[in-house]
Amino acid sequence: MSSNKLWQCITCGFLYSESEGIPDEGIPAGTKWEDVPDDWCCPDCGMDKSDFTMVEAGTSALGF
Amino acid sequence: MNAPCIIIGGSHAASQLSINVRQQGWTGRIMVISKESSLPYQHPPLSKSFLSEDKLVEDILLKPAEIYTKANIEFRLNVEVNNIDRERMEVTLNTGETLSYNKLALCTGASAIKIPLSDGNLTGVHYLRNVNDAIKIKKGIKAKKNAVIIGGGFIGLETAAVLKQQGMNVTILEAQNSILQRAVSPEIAQYIMALHQENGVNIITSSMAETLEGTDSVTGVRCASGTLIPAELVIIGIGVTPQTALAEQCKLATNNGISVNKYALTSDPNIVAAGDCTNYFHELYQRNVRLESIQNALEQSKSAAASIVDKNISFSRNVPRFWSDQYDIKLQICGLFDGYDEIEIEQDLEKRKLNALYFKKRTLVAAVAVNNPKLLMQAQAAIKAQISLNDEQIQQILMLPN
Repeated sequence: MSSNKLWQCITCGFLYSESEGIPDEGIPAGTKWEDVPDDWCCPDCGMDKSDFTMVEAGTSALGF
Repeated sequence: MNAPCIIIGGSHAASQLSINVRQQGWTGRIMVISKESSLPYQHPPLSKSFLSEDKLVEDILLKPAEIYTKANIEFRLNVEVNNIDRERMEVTLNTGETLSYNKLALCTGASAIKIPLSDGNLTGVHYLRNVNDAIKIKKGIKAKKNAVIIGGGFIGLETAAVLKQQGMNVTILEAQNSILQRAVSPEIAQYIMALHQENGVNIITSSMAETLEGTDSVTGVRCASGTLIPAELVIIGIGVTPQTALAEQCKLATNNGISVNKYALTSDPNIVAAGDCTNYFHELYQRNVRLESIQNALEQSKSAAASIVDKNISFSRNVPRFWSDQYDIKLQICGLFDGYDEIEIEQDLEKRKLNALYFKKRTLVAAVAVNNPKLLMQAQAAIKAQISLNDEQIQQILMLPN
């Protein structure tokens, strides 16, 4: 299994998990951060992708 | 078919919707009509960093002007829509102009509930809803002076934290017997109250402000109990009301907000609505909701943009999410506290720890966390899945490290 990375919005705290993606927003599970479109913005506060910072690598989801 | 897609509003929903409509493939004109004097800006900083830092509205724009230019989106600023004629598919502006529309989007937002207390026009008395309000409040912030916040909701609490950090003496007056009564559970309200008290904010519950003292400028707040609290700065934050006047005028269905379906369509198939002004049936909670959050505005805007080009994106099963920054904590909430019958909670104010899960028949309905976005992420997935959690799974969520 490839390592999962978590990216966090510095404004609102929203987390993006590469292993989970955001299927509701058309970002399939397993989408690497660099493959998230540049014009994508935080779903909770609307800030740009550039406002995210990597917080952790290797955390896996609990799988609900 | 040359008539534009007209978007009425100038905040998060209007901005997102305008971009999304273009992304969804709308090739015609897109025009945003906003009564604001600047391009759409971020609202959360208004009760946070905008008050304490040297920022201008240009510093908190949602998107730079080039983004809209590139997407060929026209803005009409400082203009209000007075009337919508659905038969003729026209809007009339306060400039006297009449514009035809092909599709119309209402992103009219919500306005601060005004109370007679502020009728005297004393200087130093403010509501906080837009950037002009924030600029006025900022000018009134002076160390060692006194501020009274009327209303213990999130806006009031966030503002109180900033004013306190700027060295003011701060009192929060809350009419109910607890702060945040409509927003969170009693345990969370207690935690937030303790946080403010630890920072030296005076919180008085079950107390109504009766009159404002002062001749030209406010000097104090007189409570119904007779107590006088000195104040050179008064901020009233007792809630908001959805802006439905235009929708009502053109006889769209409304019910504590503009009624929309799960695709953000109003009762007129050529008109969508998104953001704080809307009311819809939430499928997870099986009731009508009117949410005041950016996440709600953004998700509805995506659905609304899709509907404009005859596509379907539903938002009505999305888990509501909300956050608040106060002092050194980031409080995050997901879900709604509907009829919970069980709480799992771990808290320690000193360690800035708070993890709370709310269950209804063992199914997670809401979660609250302080400085713990991982818990929120997992809780959100569990709420959406609507599955009963066993003890082990509950512990797994609670044990997520901060």
